[in-house]
Amino acid sequence: MAKQRRRPLGLILSTGWLSLCLLAAVLGDLLPLPAWNDFDFDNLSAPIFTNGHWLGTDPDGADLLSGLVHGARVSLGISFVSVLAGSIIGGFLGVLAAYRRGWIDAVITMYFNVSLAIPIIVLTLVMVAIFSTPKFDGSSGGLPREMILVISLTLVLVPILGLLARSSALSWSGRDFVMVAESIGMKKRAILWTHIVPNVLPAMMSIAFLAAGIVIVVEGGLAILGAGAAPGASWGSMLAKNQSYFTIDAYPTLVPAAVIALTVMALNYFGDYFRTAIDDRESRI
Amino acid sequence: MAGSGTAHLRNNDEVVLDVRDMVVEFRVGGGLVVKAVSKISFDVCRGETLAIVGESGCGKTTLGKAILQLPPPNSGDVIFEGTNLTKLPKEQLRSARTAIQMVFQDPISSLDPRMTVGEIVGEPLWIWGRGSEADREAKVRELLNNVGLEPELVLNRRSYEFSGGQCQRISIARSLALEPRMLICDEPVSALDVSIQAQILNLLQDMKDRYGLTMVFISHDLAVVKAVSNRIMVMYLGKICEVGSPDAIYSKPTHHYTSALLDSVPVPDPTRKRTAVPLQGEPPSPVAPPSGCRFRTRCPAATEKCAAEEPQLREVAPDQFVACHHPRS
Amino acid sequence: MKFLGAGLILVRALVVLFLVTFMITVLVRLLPGDPVDTLMPFATDEGREQLRSELGLNINIVQYYFRWLGDFVRGDFGQWYASTGDGGGVPIGQMLGVALPRSLFLMFYTMVFSLALALPIGIFLGYRADTRIDRTISNAMFALSSIPSFALGLSLVYILGLRLDLLPVLGYVPFTESPGEHFKSMVLPVLSLSVGLIAGFSRLLRVDTIATLREDFVTMASSKGLSNGWILWRHVLRPSSATLMTSAALQMGGLIGGAVVIEIIFALNGFGMLLNTAIVTRQYLAIQSLVALIAVAFIFFNLVVNVLYAVVDPRVRSARG
Repeated sequence: MAKQRRRPLGLILSTGWLSLCLLAAVLGDLLPLPAWNDFDFDNLSAPIFTNGHWLGTDPDGADLLSGLVHGARVSLGISFVSVLAGSIIGGFLGVLAAYRRGWIDAVITMYFNVSLAIPIIVLTLVMVAIFSTPKFDGSSGGLPREMILVISLTLVLVPILGLLARSSALSWSGRDFVMVAESIGMKKRAILWTHIVPNVLPAMMSIAFLAAGIVIVVEGGLAILGAGAAPGASWGSMLAKNQSYFTIDAYPTLVPAAVIALTVMALNYFGDYFRTAIDDRESRI
Repeated sequence: MAGSGTAHLRNNDEVVLDVRDMVVEFRVGGGLVVKAVSKISFDVCRGETLAIVGESGCGKTTLGKAILQLPPPNSGDVIFEGTNLTKLPKEQLRSARTAIQMVFQDPISSLDPRMTVGEIVGEPLWIWGRGSEADREAKVRELLNNVGLEPELVLNRRSYEFSGGQCQRISIARSLALEPRMLICDEPVSALDVSIQAQILNLLQDMKDRYGLTMVFISHDLAVVKAVSNRIMVMYLGKICEVGSPDAIYSKPTHHYTSALLDSVPVPDPTRKRTAVPLQGEPPSPVAPPSGCRFRTRCPAATEKCAAEEPQLREVAPDQFVACHHPRS
Repeated sequence: MKFLGAGLILVRALVVLFLVTFMITVLVRLLPGDPVDTLMPFATDEGREQLRSELGLNINIVQYYFRWLGDFVRGDFGQWYASTGDGGGVPIGQMLGVALPRSLFLMFYTMVFSLALALPIGIFLGYRADTRIDRTISNAMFALSSIPSFALGLSLVYILGLRLDLLPVLGYVPFTESPGEHFKSMVLPVLSLSVGLIAGFSRLLRVDTIATLREDFVTMASSKGLSNGWILWRHVLRPSSATLMTSAALQMGGLIGGAVVIEIIFALNGFGMLLNTAIVTRQYLAIQSLVALIAVAFIFFNLVVNVLYAVVDPRVRSARG
């Protein structure tokens, strides 16, 4: 199969953009910007570079740049945490199923397949609904919205990442060196941790990037459906909040949309690059 | 052919490995059962190299793995130095395994791509806590030297940086780390270039002499096996055809399958005449082996008796046993 | 023998179906809040009792599940309750009758359009693999496909709808009313959803084309009278169709999810909108039936693809046998 050698330019751009987002997420508070939920009533729907608003404001007067910076923290944070949690739980279950086989495998795989029978957004939507108490004013009591999202997304990611971990672990378990390890007297649990997990890890890491991208998209979709983070807090909810004014002033909607698109592109590129690098190395094995 | 029996067993003090009535079968999709090894018995004496020869699919690899209980046979006994491996509980089996080591066919797949060579060869020592770290490192260097690899050059490299032959050397070094008393080699040179094959075969012979090993050498290639073995056992579709010394088997094969195998060995002599009728037909499936003698569907000398009655191994010449109703004379 | 394999797939799909619908029942039960209060805050006591029994709150969950299942397979999807007055609801089946066709049209058009475009693009790229034009287009498609469909949708609305005023931006026109307007209202939604699919499918076809070229084409070179294009078309299509089918099935999940969001953006009032409203307003029965419906469709689709694949592709059969 011909592998597309991506030009390094794409790699540089992706890394650059992702680093920028990460910096914004981490150092955001230090920037001399108005708070993301500060409404500047004198400057509603302001265009770029007005009165200290670098990217302008939205129809409520909230500064777009600081919204993006704050959104970076929320969106990337949700994405990072849920992918990490999903990888750990899913990875553990998947590898366990692959190595133990028998009924453990049957149960875990059935759980994975059943969960995957429902499209991601739909399942996440239901999960979010379960964890938030209904109030007709749209807000929710109980757990903070972001935590609800993280939990729901993690639960939804576990089957996907788990199936991948399982199939990777299965193919590694079939390799001779696993049998060799048994023949030199290694205990099964030791074989799992020393031989199988380190080999499954790279594949999972490359999928993690892709999954992070998916999470950001799902978060955006959820926001549009009304189930995202607090309005304006994340990129997705910024988009959703301003979407109702789309026909009047499309700009505040397009800005977070563009940021989401760029970030997902960068994550996909990264994940793909990683995957081709791993495939190359492993095809030599 | 293909029958079973115990006439070829020696039952003396020199027997190190004694396999009795081994049966290995496994399920494949659709409710079918592959009868890989069907009630075979054989033995190996101390210091001997037993070669197990046959086509792919005859069950020899399964047999090799079953000796190590990987996985354990469905029934039968495997008695190594007096201990019945099939009856051992898990923990004791684990430690019993250290006395028998195996070298696998695919040199590269046998090595964990994430580990360095030093880690791979030293792993058995590490698992069993043999000696301090310094001791282990010294031992690893010694092993690498023995197999003809320069420790400095290979210790910190990974398997995918080496050729097939070198990987096989690494595998052999690792298998000798625990100083086993028996080595099972499953097609150790089949995946290698012809020029490298000789080197590895010589290496194995050296190691056998140096460590006083008993060997079981599994191969489909009679040419390879001739130089290294003291005794040859020919298998077909899960049963034994013929057992004997290399000289006897090569000069006077009594089983039709053995002679067909020998004939297929390329010999650079255009004037050589073929002495046997070439094999006809396709090998039957191990899921539904023929009744009676399993070789009868491809045998030029098959009769009704061959379908009705499974031939047992019997002595047809000093130390040569064959399972056939109508052996060649 | 091959029907045994197909039968096994069927059984497995049924088991998954049962488990999924049961899981949905449980999940819906987990929704916080008192269903009766949420749905009918102003109901009378009798009304409440009736609602309780309709929602199955007076029997245990397993009984309820089987009762619901019985209704479901007969096409009775329950009621949608109005929160004013004394309740009484609209049969969900009726609502589905209006909403479902729109969503089905959307997905059908998207699939057809994507495949139709992906085929020539993919084959062309494979034929011209590793040339500059291949690299440019492939990279561009990769970038485009990373853009979430709602972002694309919004951009398209902005450019083609608002700025250039070429196409209607919101709303749906049924085919029966006006075919022209119907298609016009679907163009933007279908485009938004298709980009990702086209990129994925054409990548697949590109790989298959390259592989086929390497094997068959060299021997085919001597056959006279057949143009390259014709050979490519016939020899890539047949083996690729299996991979394409599987890929289509895999993409279905993402497509359904994407469609739900797109419907909202373009105000198509389809299935997605229905589901979303149901979840937000806690229409318990509706949620259960609608999500179950999606799951059934999804599993069924996968099932059909799996069975077809197993029957059509001899390699798969012999590998298992």
